[in-house]
Amino acid sequence: MKSINKTFVKWSITIIICCLFSSCYSVRLKNVYGDPMPDPVSDRTDFYRMQKVQEIDTVITIKVTDKDFTMLLKECGTAGIHTVEYRNTFGGVLLSAVTFGRKRRVRVKYVCMKPTN
Amino acid sequence: MAKTTPYAKSSWDTLHNNGPFPLKTLYVTELAGSANMFSKYDRYNDAALEIQRLIREAADRNEGFRPYGSSWSLSHIAHQKDNMHYNGFMSIHIPIPPALTHENSSYANENLFFFECGNTIKRISEVLGSHGKSLKTSGASNGQTIAGCISTGVHGSALNVGSVQDYVVGINLIVGDKPTDIVYLERHTKPALNDDFAKKIHATVIRNDHLFNAALVGLGAFGFIHGVVIEAEDRFLLKRYVKKIKKETALALADTMDFENSTFKIDGEVDENGKPLRPYHYKVFINPYTNEDEYVIEIMYKKPYAIPYPDPFPVIKTSLYKDLIYLLIKLSEKFPKSIPWFIKQLRKTILPEVNEETLGTLYETFWDAPYQGPAFACSVGIHHKDSSKAYKVLEKMTQDEGPIPGIFAMRFVKQTEATLGFTKFPITCMLEIDGVLWEKSRKIMSLTEYSRRMIEVLQENNIPFTIHWGKNSDWKFPNLATHMFGDKVTEWKKYRNGLLSTEMQQVFSNGFLEDVNLNTPNDTNDDDLIVSL
Repeated sequence: MKSINKTFVKWSITIIICCLFSSCYSVRLKNVYGDPMPDPVSDRTDFYRMQKVQEIDTVITIKVTDKDFTMLLKECGTAGIHTVEYRNTFGGVLLSAVTFGRKRRVRVKYVCMKPTN
Repeated sequence: MAKTTPYAKSSWDTLHNNGPFPLKTLYVTELAGSANMFSKYDRYNDAALEIQRLIREAADRNEGFRPYGSSWSLSHIAHQKDNMHYNGFMSIHIPIPPALTHENSSYANENLFFFECGNTIKRISEVLGSHGKSLKTSGASNGQTIAGCISTGVHGSALNVGSVQDYVVGINLIVGDKPTDIVYLERHTKPALNDDFAKKIHATVIRNDHLFNAALVGLGAFGFIHGVVIEAEDRFLLKRYVKKIKKETALALADTMDFENSTFKIDGEVDENGKPLRPYHYKVFINPYTNEDEYVIEIMYKKPYAIPYPDPFPVIKTSLYKDLIYLLIKLSEKFPKSIPWFIKQLRKTILPEVNEETLGTLYETFWDAPYQGPAFACSVGIHHKDSSKAYKVLEKMTQDEGPIPGIFAMRFVKQTEATLGFTKFPITCMLEIDGVLWEKSRKIMSLTEYSRRMIEVLQENNIPFTIHWGKNSDWKFPNLATHMFGDKVTEWKKYRNGLLSTEMQQVFSNGFLEDVNLNTPNDTNDDDLIVSL
């Protein structure tokens, strides 16, 4: 009986981990043209290695009357955006669900275009 | 005014994490804004003064100073323990009007372009594209800066073209802090621009083939490369095929470069007599841990530019979980015998898809390569006639003494005129093994040990070779530079000695040059060496 319980717990944990794993993903939009803004001082070791990354990690509240939400970006100047990444997490999905969509976790990374001379 | 920000750093690393290496100060220079300084020449010359100021400061502290760009080299060639200078923001390009072309120039004026050091291959391609032009070749990707490319000898697999440095026709160097220390070099047999151009960049002109060829692949030792003049050509398309062909055929093509009389033929890529055309690019991928009788090859043919053509960019690209790669490497270090199995499982990620066909410009074909985590690459240059012989001995060594987590590839490059260019054979086969960086364990040798064995095995089998300056090797191997380049080493040092003062030779030296014994000045110092011929 004990061994059946152990197996059940093991499989449950595996399934939960798989669900959490797949609910946590990144969608990235990248410009085919231009160079990303470099950051020679950065030590990061992810996709954005040696790139100047701007990060937004916040919770927004949308009123019932709001149709959408626009966040204004000033860092890129006139050069424009090179890459934008939106990250979805299990926690974010949960927050949205329990607040009936009123609160949304926004996790966005973006890299500006390197200005040309 | 150009602005330099110093950052106190304790270490610096390459893009592919081949370090970290110790460092004191990292400098980042940004150009004066175009609103404040309208003329591009003024901004360029203003930046030159700023670099001279930094050079003087380093010299006064009895320290070294080394510029770098995208950090793509996997060796420690870009590293300097005292002062490193990031020049990626120094990216002006200036059009060359016909009035600045030299009267004896054999280059079409419309093909000449002047780029500052920090322009990437991608940016240069975009500028050229807007003029209907293209680079003649690039590396397998596009993120390197032009100064980094020529300093280390970046190459693709353009067997009739050469490496990036081979289309550079003028070099602007800053070799000290005095006004006369800004020089503009060209070949005297192939002048490109006239003295008016040199005046615009406040440079002294020296037209001298020997000096130019020595400085061309200068390993960062010939001063600060501030700008280069390149020769572009009309934009063209590359028709790319990925095929699986008999191992014997792939290696025979490598050994002979005789595509015209080969049994390997692609429909449509034949001449009027039905004989196969000579390709622009030929690459062979080899997994050393399988005994398949076929290799994957990538072959490209040059076509005139014509629109429309199918979009060569895939809409969606995915990448492996970096944690998964990390896990595989950790397992490989503990259980090296699992490496061949991993490589087999990941072959779809590592190798291009067989029977894939694309058509695109050079810019589109050799596009961005995303960072995929710590990586290594060991690359030796051999005469293409030795391709299969060299591969066999290195494969045997890798199987017997490895495995290591990487696969081999062969690329082919036309001979360079650069004195220390590693593509020194009439057609050089660049035989490389690259993969994921690992750490030495009880069961797997270190990368340095592996690359030392590569050198020893090639020497034991009497195969003349060179090593890619920007890739991993046992750079402290005794007499390595002399073994690879013979008397050319003396010639290279002689011209460095003539162009740079002893003080500046020390400023522009680093651990890499010390390791390969290229830092020490020659005993001779010919007064009439650095002159226009």
